[in-house]
Amino acid sequence: MLRALSPGLRRRTVVLAAAVLAGVLLIVVLATGWAGSGNDGVTTVDGNASAVVYAAGHRPLAPGFTATTLTGSKLSFSSYRGKVVVLNFWGSWCVPCREEASTLAAVAAKYRPPGVSFLGVNVRDTTVSALAFTHSFHVTYPSVSDQSSAITLDFTAKVPIAGTPTTLVVDRTGHIAGAVFGTVTYPDLTAILAKVG
Amino acid sequence: MTDVRAPETDPFDPAAERDDQPRPGSSSPGGTFGLADWLKWAWRQLTSMRIALILLFLLALASVPGSMLPQQGSNPASVQQYYVSHPALAPWLDRLGLFNVFAAPWFAAIYLLLFASLVGCVVPRTFRLAGSARTLPPRAPRHLARLPRSAEYTIALPPGDAVEVAARVLSGRGFRLRRPDDADLAQDWVSAEKGYLREAGNLLFHLALLGVLVSVALGGLFGYKADRLLVQGQSFADTVSALDEFHPGRFVTAADLGPFTMTLNRFDASYISSGQQRGQPSAFDARVTYTEQPGGPARTFDLDVNRPLSVDGAKVYLIGHGYAPEFTVTDARGHVVYNQPTPFVAGTSGNFLSEGVVKVPDAQPEQLGFTGVFVPTAVNVGGTLESVFPAADNPVVSLIAYAGNLGMDSGAPQSVYQLDTSAMHRLTTSPQVLQRGQSLKLPGGRGTITFTGYVPWVSLAITHDPGQLPALICGIAALGGLLLSFMIRRRRVFVRARVGPSTGSQRVDTTVQVGGLARTDASGGFEAEFAELAAELRSAHEQAAQHRHEGE
Amino acid sequence: MPVNVALGHVSNAFLIVALVIYSLSVVAFAGDFAFGRPRRAAAAASGQQARDRATALASVGAAGAAAGPAPVEPEVPAATAGGEPVDDAGSMPELEVPALRAIREAGRWVVAAVALAAIGAAAHTTAVITRGLAVHRAPWGNMYEFVTALTCVAVIFFVFAMIRYRAWTLGVFVMGAVVVTLGLAETLIYTAPGDLVPALQSYWLDIHVTAMTLATGIFFVSAVLGFVYLWVDRYTRRVAAGRAAPDNGIVRRLPGIEQLDRLTYRTIVFGFPVWTFGVIAGAIWADQAWGRYWGWDPVETWAFITWVLYAAFLHARATAGWRGRRAHYVQLLGFASLIFNVLVVQVFIAGMHSYSGVG
Repeated sequence: MLRALSPGLRRRTVVLAAAVLAGVLLIVVLATGWAGSGNDGVTTVDGNASAVVYAAGHRPLAPGFTATTLTGSKLSFSSYRGKVVVLNFWGSWCVPCREEASTLAAVAAKYRPPGVSFLGVNVRDTTVSALAFTHSFHVTYPSVSDQSSAITLDFTAKVPIAGTPTTLVVDRTGHIAGAVFGTVTYPDLTAILAKVG
Repeated sequence: MTDVRAPETDPFDPAAERDDQPRPGSSSPGGTFGLADWLKWAWRQLTSMRIALILLFLLALASVPGSMLPQQGSNPASVQQYYVSHPALAPWLDRLGLFNVFAAPWFAAIYLLLFASLVGCVVPRTFRLAGSARTLPPRAPRHLARLPRSAEYTIALPPGDAVEVAARVLSGRGFRLRRPDDADLAQDWVSAEKGYLREAGNLLFHLALLGVLVSVALGGLFGYKADRLLVQGQSFADTVSALDEFHPGRFVTAADLGPFTMTLNRFDASYISSGQQRGQPSAFDARVTYTEQPGGPARTFDLDVNRPLSVDGAKVYLIGHGYAPEFTVTDARGHVVYNQPTPFVAGTSGNFLSEGVVKVPDAQPEQLGFTGVFVPTAVNVGGTLESVFPAADNPVVSLIAYAGNLGMDSGAPQSVYQLDTSAMHRLTTSPQVLQRGQSLKLPGGRGTITFTGYVPWVSLAITHDPGQLPALICGIAALGGLLLSFMIRRRRVFVRARVGPSTGSQRVDTTVQVGGLARTDASGGFEAEFAELAAELRSAHEQAAQHRHEGE
Repeated sequence: MPVNVALGHVSNAFLIVALVIYSLSVVAFAGDFAFGRPRRAAAAASGQQARDRATALASVGAAGAAAGPAPVEPEVPAATAGGEPVDDAGSMPELEVPALRAIREAGRWVVAAVALAAIGAAAHTTAVITRGLAVHRAPWGNMYEFVTALTCVAVIFFVFAMIRYRAWTLGVFVMGAVVVTLGLAETLIYTAPGDLVPALQSYWLDIHVTAMTLATGIFFVSAVLGFVYLWVDRYTRRVAAGRAAPDNGIVRRLPGIEQLDRLTYRTIVFGFPVWTFGVIAGAIWADQAWGRYWGWDPVETWAFITWVLYAAFLHARATAGWRGRRAHYVQLLGFASLIFNVLVVQVFIAGMHSYSGVG
C-alpha cells in the first residue's frame, strides 16, 4: 500500500511508522526490563545490598515520635538525642525477628558500655504477645508500641523500609546513619556501629 | 464517455490498498533478494489485512487458556492447587507460561505485532486523509441515469441557473463541490461529495486502541496494587511493611505510597433471613476513620463494595470480609501470652464456616499452636458441626491443640493461616468445641485457651493506576471513532442540467438530472437521503423558477 | 425494599403468553412459506441486479475488495448480473411502498405473523417491565432475567429490521430461535424474583448489563441470520456442483445471498459499538467494585474474545478471500464465544463474576 504514495511521502511514512513502533516497543521493554535507581552517599556493607551506611551529609533526619512502651510508660524519641540508637522494627509473629533476637541482644550487651542504646518498635502486634516475646528472648531494652505502623510510616519517608524486620542506626545528631533491611547479622550490625561511632 | 473514476487518486476506489498476494522481491529488478527486500516484504506482510486477521484470531485463541487455567496474578492459591492435583502436567504448563498468560512474552508478541500492523496501516492512511482534505470530488458522469440512484425532471430555468441553485442547496447541506473548469466545454454540472469524516472516525478508533495499550502500560509502570486485612478496631498506615501484599509497578518505590492512616471502626453485614435467597448478603457497611497525612484532620467514610475511598491519589476498596474470633491463652506459668482477635478465613462450604490458626510462640515451656474452625451459626447435623447462616447467631469454635516447635524461631517466614505441625505433638485427641466464654484446659498443665468472642475483619485493596483515566478517555475516543465510521457514509451526488425538449414556447426548459451513489451502505439510508435531497433540489428549482417568472 | 411477589407472578404470566404468541407467529411465518403469495423476491432480486450493474458502470469498488482497517463494504457486483436493460435504477422498491401496505401486500400469512410477533413483543416487554417493577431494579440481574431481556431486544430489533427490509421470510428462523431460547429459559433456569447481592447494587448494573443485554439481543439476530446465510450459501454451492436440485422452494423465497449478507452485516454494525460500550462500562464498574478496571477475570476475558472475534468479522469482510462464508463462520464463532461466556464461564468457572443465580 506504500506504493500508492509518492517516494517522499513513502519515506516519511516509513520513518514515522518505525518511530511509533519503536516508541511502543520501548514502553514495553521498560515495563518488563529495567529496574533500579542510583543514589549517592549510600554504600553497602561488604557488598550486602540490604545493609547500608549513609555517608555524613547524606543522612536523613530521623523523625521524632512519642509513644507508649510495652510496659505502659510514655517514651519520646527526642530523649535519645546525643546517643547512638539502634532502632529495631519487630513483631512477635515475625520469624526473622525471632531469628535475629539473640544477635540483637548480644550486640546490645556489647555496645552498652560505649553508650549505644537499643530501642524496639513493635509493629502489628499486641502488647501481650510482645511482652511474651521479650520474656522468651530476654530482651532488656525497651520497645514502643506501633500497632498502626504510624511510626514506621514516618521513617519510611526517610529510608525505604520495605518490611519487618528493619534495623536503623541513628547517630548522635539524630540522623539515620545506617540501616539493615531484613535479618540483622552480627558482622553487619557491628560494622555499621563501627562506622557510625 | 467521461469516466467517473477521476484521473487523480480516487479515494472511493483505493485500488492501491487491495490485499495482494505476497510478491517478494518485486522491488529488486536484478532478482537478488537482499536484507532490505526481505524487510520490505515482511513489513508488507505484517501490515496486510490477512495478517491482521490472523493475529486477531491468535489473540482470541491465546486468551482462552488464560480463562480456563488458574492464573498466578489473580489466584495464586488455585495455581498451587493445580500443581497438587496435576503434578506431572503443571510444570510443563508453567514452562509455557500458561499460569500467567497475559504477562507471557508470547502473548505480548501477538498484541505487539497486531499493533505494529495497525500502526503500519493507519499512519499512511492518516497522511492520505490529511492530503485529501483538499481533493475535489470527481467530475460528473455523463449518464447519471446509470447511477444506483437517480432522478430527472424538467424545470423552467436556464441550465446555468439550475446548476447554481443546485450548488447552493448541496453546499448548504455540507457537501464539498466541484464545478466544471475550462477543460469541460460548456457543460453545466456540479459534483458534490460528503462523508469524509468516516475515514477520520476509523483512524481515530484504531489510534485510540493504541492509546489504550499505552495507558495500560503506563498504569503497569507507575501504578501499584496492595492488600491489607484489617480487623475491626485496628488501624494501619499506608506503608509497605504494614501491607499484606504490595505489587509496585516498575517505577514505583515505597515512598510513592500516600501517607494516610485508616482505622476500621465498625463493620456490619446483613443477610437475607428468609425466602429463596436466605443467607445471601443484602448489605455491607464498613465505617472507617482516616487521616490523609500524619497529624491531619480525621475524617470518616462509609466504605462499601461499590463505593471506594479516594485518598492521597490512591483508591481503597472493600473487597471481602470475615470473622476473627478472639482468644486468650495462658501458658503453664499462668501468664497471659496471647490475647487478640485472630482472622479466620471462610472456606468453600458456605455460610462463612471459617478456618484459622492460633500460634503462641512465646508460651512457656513449650510453644503452643491451635487449628480451629469458626462456625457462625452452628447446628449439629449428624455429628458434624455445620454453619447454616452467615451471621454469627450461634458462634462456636472447634479447636485442636498442639505443642512443640512452631518453626517460627528460624527459617522461612510462615503464613499466619497455616500451622506447621511437623515438629509438634497433638494435645487433644478430638476437636474441642467451645461456646463463647468457654475455655479449653490443655493436658499436662500446659495452660488454657478461652474463646472470648469475635469481631469482624475486612480485606481492603489499595490501588493506584495513573493509566486509568487515559485508558478511559482512549476507550471513549475509540467508541466515538467507531460510531463515526459506522454512521457516516461517503457519498457523491451529481447534478447535470441540459437544455430540454422545447415545448414550443419561448420558455427555456431544462432537464435536470440528479444522480447519486454511496461508497458503502454500512448503515443504509442513502436511498432515503437521496430521495430527500432530490425532493429538496426540485422544490428549490421550482421556487427559483417561480421567482424568475415573477421577475419577468 | 421487599420483592413484590404478586407482580413477579404477573411478569411470568406475561412471559408465558408471549411465548405462546411467538409460537403462533412462527406457525404463521411457516404458513407463509407453504401457502403464501409467491414473493416479489424476484422483483427485489432484479432491482438488486440492476443496481449492481449500475454500480459496475459507476466503477465504484469495481476493483473488488478494498483493503484497510475500515469496516467498508464495497458494492461487489453479484454474479447474476445479466443483460437486462437498466430501467429501474432509480426505483427504490423498499421505500416506494409504505410499510403497512407492504405488509398487507405480502399476504394474509405475513399479516398474521407480523401482527402476532408484534403482540408477542408487547407481552414480552410487559413481562420484562413488570419483572423490573417487582424487584425494584433493572430486570437483568441473573441469567434467567438476562435471557428473557435479550430475547425481547432481539425480537424488537428483528421486527423493525424485518419490516424495514421487507424480509418476511426470515421470520420463521429468528422467531423460532427466540421460542426455543425462551422455552429453555423458562424450564431450565427460571429464578424467582429476588434481591441482588450487594456487589451488584450499583447504578453501573443498569449501564453495563443493559448494554450487554442489548448487544447480545442484537447479536442473537445476526447469529440466526448467519445460519440462514450459510444454509443458503451451501445450497447454492451444491446446486452449482450439481449435487442438489435447483429452485428449492424455501431458498427461492428467502432474500438473495447478498441481501442476507448485507442484513447480517448491518446488524453486527449495530451491535458492535453497543458491545464495545458495554465492555467499557463493565471496566468502569469493575474499577469501582474491585479496584482495577481490567483483571482478566474469566468473564472479562471471554467478553474480550467475543469482541476480538466480531472485530475479526468486520476485518474479514474487507479482506479478499474472507468475505462471504468464512466471514460468517467468524461471526458465528463470536456468538458462540458469547454464549459460552454466559452459560459456561459465568456458572462453572470461578471468578468474581458468578452472579448468575444458577448453581
